[in-house]
Amino acid sequence: MTAMRDLPDENLFVMGHTACPGCGVAISIRNALRILGKNTVVYVPASCGVVFSATYPHAAMKVPFLHTAFENTGACISGLKAAYEKKGKNVNVVGFAGDGGTYDIGLQSVSGAAERNEDVIYICLDNEAYMNTGIQRSGSTPFGAWTTTTPVGKLTRGKREFKKDLPEIMAAHDIPYLATLSVAHPADFIRKVEKAKTISGFRFLHMLTPCVPGWKIDQAKSIEILKLAVDTGMWTLYEFEYGERKVTYRPGKMRFVKDYLMMQGRFRHMSDEDIKRMQGWVCRKWGQHYGEKGSPEVCPVELPAEHHAITEDHRGMHGP
Amino acid sequence: MKKVITGDHSVAYGAKLARAEVVAAYPITPQTLIVEHIAEFVSDGEMDAKFMPMESEHSVMSATIAAQAAGARTFTATASQGLAFMHEMLYVAAPLRLPIVMVNVNRTIAYPVGIWCEYNDSMAERDSGWLQVYIENNQEALDMVIQGYMIAEDRRVLLPVMPCMDGFVLSHTVEPVELPAQEDVDVFLPGYEPVYSLDPDNPAVAGSFMPPEYIMEMRRQTMDAVEASKKVIPEVGKKFASRFGRDYGGLVEEIGTEGADVVLMTMGTVTSTAREVIAEFRGRVGLVKLRFYRPFPSDEIRDLGSRFRAIGVFDRSLSYTGGGPVFEEVKAALYGYSDIPVINHLAGLGGRDVTAQEIRKMCELTLRAADGERVSRVNWHATRGVPV
Amino acid sequence: MYEVRFHGRGGQGAVMAAQALAEAAVIEDKYAIAFPFFGAERRGAPVLAFTRIHDQKIYSRTQVYTPDCVVVLDDTLLDTVDITHGIKENGIAVINSTKKPEEIELGRKIRTAAVEATSIALELLKAPITNTAILGAFSRATGIVGIDSVEKAIMSRFGEKLGEVAGRKNAGAARMAYDRTETGMSSGGKEHAIRKQWLPEYRELPVGGVLGARTTDAGLIGPGSFIENKTGEWATFRPVRDRNRCTMCLACWFDCPEGCIIRIDNGKDLRTDYGYCKGCGICANECPVDAITMMRL
Repeated sequence: MTAMRDLPDENLFVMGHTACPGCGVAISIRNALRILGKNTVVYVPASCGVVFSATYPHAAMKVPFLHTAFENTGACISGLKAAYEKKGKNVNVVGFAGDGGTYDIGLQSVSGAAERNEDVIYICLDNEAYMNTGIQRSGSTPFGAWTTTTPVGKLTRGKREFKKDLPEIMAAHDIPYLATLSVAHPADFIRKVEKAKTISGFRFLHMLTPCVPGWKIDQAKSIEILKLAVDTGMWTLYEFEYGERKVTYRPGKMRFVKDYLMMQGRFRHMSDEDIKRMQGWVCRKWGQHYGEKGSPEVCPVELPAEHHAITEDHRGMHGP
Repeated sequence: MKKVITGDHSVAYGAKLARAEVVAAYPITPQTLIVEHIAEFVSDGEMDAKFMPMESEHSVMSATIAAQAAGARTFTATASQGLAFMHEMLYVAAPLRLPIVMVNVNRTIAYPVGIWCEYNDSMAERDSGWLQVYIENNQEALDMVIQGYMIAEDRRVLLPVMPCMDGFVLSHTVEPVELPAQEDVDVFLPGYEPVYSLDPDNPAVAGSFMPPEYIMEMRRQTMDAVEASKKVIPEVGKKFASRFGRDYGGLVEEIGTEGADVVLMTMGTVTSTAREVIAEFRGRVGLVKLRFYRPFPSDEIRDLGSRFRAIGVFDRSLSYTGGGPVFEEVKAALYGYSDIPVINHLAGLGGRDVTAQEIRKMCELTLRAADGERVSRVNWHATRGVPV
Repeated sequence: MYEVRFHGRGGQGAVMAAQALAEAAVIEDKYAIAFPFFGAERRGAPVLAFTRIHDQKIYSRTQVYTPDCVVVLDDTLLDTVDITHGIKENGIAVINSTKKPEEIELGRKIRTAAVEATSIALELLKAPITNTAILGAFSRATGIVGIDSVEKAIMSRFGEKLGEVAGRKNAGAARMAYDRTETGMSSGGKEHAIRKQWLPEYRELPVGGVLGARTTDAGLIGPGSFIENKTGEWATFRPVRDRNRCTMCLACWFDCPEGCIIRIDNGKDLRTDYGYCKGCGICANECPVDAITMMRL
């Protein structure tokens, strides 16, 4: 693995791009490209990524860039790769799609490409809502979060559904490589992008990318919040290699999710009850992703509300 | 070599002979046989292409666009709802100036759900910048796939081409087709040399986000390419004829029009039946086969307006303006040039068979209009409850 | 008819300002419309918004080309945008600036009002959002709408969106700016070096609009050409690094969204290219030895 100081200097995603100050997507794209190198072709579906890296006649990337539509990243990178294969060219074909373009409108396309095991790298830049259109909820938006389509109103307060577990869906495709990443964990980030670069077949890299206006955070805190996402279990770092799960980084001490939530304007309205529900969800995901229970101070053993004692009557109904 | 094959099979041979390098595919009746045959060709090693079995038509057109942008010659085929599902991507392919060839096997668009021939699928894409040619028989299907690449890849054009072929009437009908020799096709249609391709050795940006200060100019560029194709299409047709001996004419083909009073304008397979029917009118009715609907042959139609006393226009789809889309555009082309009667004949919607009797009626009505009789401008043929 | 053009940057609230001005005019029984140029700009990029005020119904839907007044929310725009373009002969510029009108270079001498809106915003709102303060300056400089109406409009529009307290604070910012606005004539010493735009005729557009990297008389276009876009103008703060404290851990280098922290001297030192630094402050926040401080520009 390359140490941070040995990464190349050349910036393939140049200064002067028009992403917001503090943009988590910009940090992720820049460092991913730094590792992938010049022999790369990029597809970006409709997203901030098109606007801030390819507003005519300017472009931020120094590598070939294609955009066509929103829901087709999986298909477009498949098509690019097919052409290079025919031409006998060995090129890294990479798609940088957002959560809307992956979890929702592009799910069919990413699933198709994964199932066909296309030899491409799919990078999901997950900022947990449709930020380009002005912060609307997506399948990735966490429970409780304010967005313009999950407003904090008199009757409902923020999103009432939990975040879709996309990496698990992708893992179910039995792809050669899948990893969750955070630019706030650079060693882990570099190792995973490098690994993806060397493996052939469908590779899915899932990056959590803070959005300053969408998360209502201080623009200086994008990295800090990402660290806290990992420390609380709102983002878990692991990988799947040929179907085998491996935890790559587990925080020494699990922190309360409330610490993460209260740093962000999108969550600040949440009631104690909602925060408790969120904590329960985080603890369950922690167990699923890390293969062990979350810390007992944060995740007390508690029967879920739906659960009730099994009586003899129930045994009769459901069998032993 | 002569083979007795379906229209779909003929198209598959066309793609193979044109040496398409990437074929993305998705099944839909009545197109499915095309991609099945191509899958077989590739699987047997007879065709050196990357076959991509996609998960939807939208992804088919997306992958096709991307592969073409990366420098590959691509082919695909679809029909009806599949074409509609591609709609968004069709509008990307043309202004990006990607010379894709895609066969559309015409099928009615739901609702009502049916699988038979109607043109409302391809007509809905007339403003997408794709060139559209309507096919009369299985031989023309094969030939227009090969000519399609020559037209599409011409530096003056660089636009995608959509040969449109009647569902079932051609797609599932066998007839003799002459398969040209690969060596001859290779001479006629050399390998694809893209004007641009996405290549890390020479990076380019394609599909940028464009502010308003560029889009009028982009549209004008695409319009000029469509106009330029009017010159290229007959050139390619002549070149093809001199090598393979089959001449389909240019944007339109005239049949028995010399000395005729009126003409009937048809598209697709109805043209074939009409070739026999007009003989009954002893030279009074000529036939015009509208081959290319895009580019629209306005000049040729104005010429018809100056030579004949009436034009009957067959439409196999409806524009909900009262008549069919071809009728509307023929009238628009004649505006300010000719005031002869233009009579619309709607028939064959949803795949209803267009019979010789109906075509006869079309000729009669057009003649009566020319003779000054009051004739309904739009006629619904063989439609219960509508008198003709 | 009175026409106003707002120049701001994404996130500064130029559109909200244009709307609040329209509302203030309506409070005074006039007719008004306000609209943005619908760009897709991120925070910090130049944006335009327009307000038209009239005593009868307004029918014109075009952008404003000959404004009576231009309002500039961010004076860093003056370096690249000719904000006086098309302004009427006796028009006026209302500018957020720390300078006096006479010191503001507009490329020509025109009536100019100046106010330190950023300082007012930082003081009252704790954020450099100047769209409400500048409306106070507009009222003072033009008299087209009264300050009472401006306050009412702000309370209504901003109060509705951000809550009553925020509404009142923003109205207070407008009042404070009203009191502190100075009016005079701008300096017209030197011609503006306006950035050229590449506007080819349609035949000169490459096929499909697809661009390779090349140089035009308007500078670089195509891949990597955003380097022409000096985003340093967006910044309110800039990072200053204490070399003696820095351990060269490279956290700032890795974390910078712009890539404007650059390794020099064979990787022994770092340099921040302020021409592009948007002043987000991630580097200062992440520095493990607190070697970076954010300084107000």
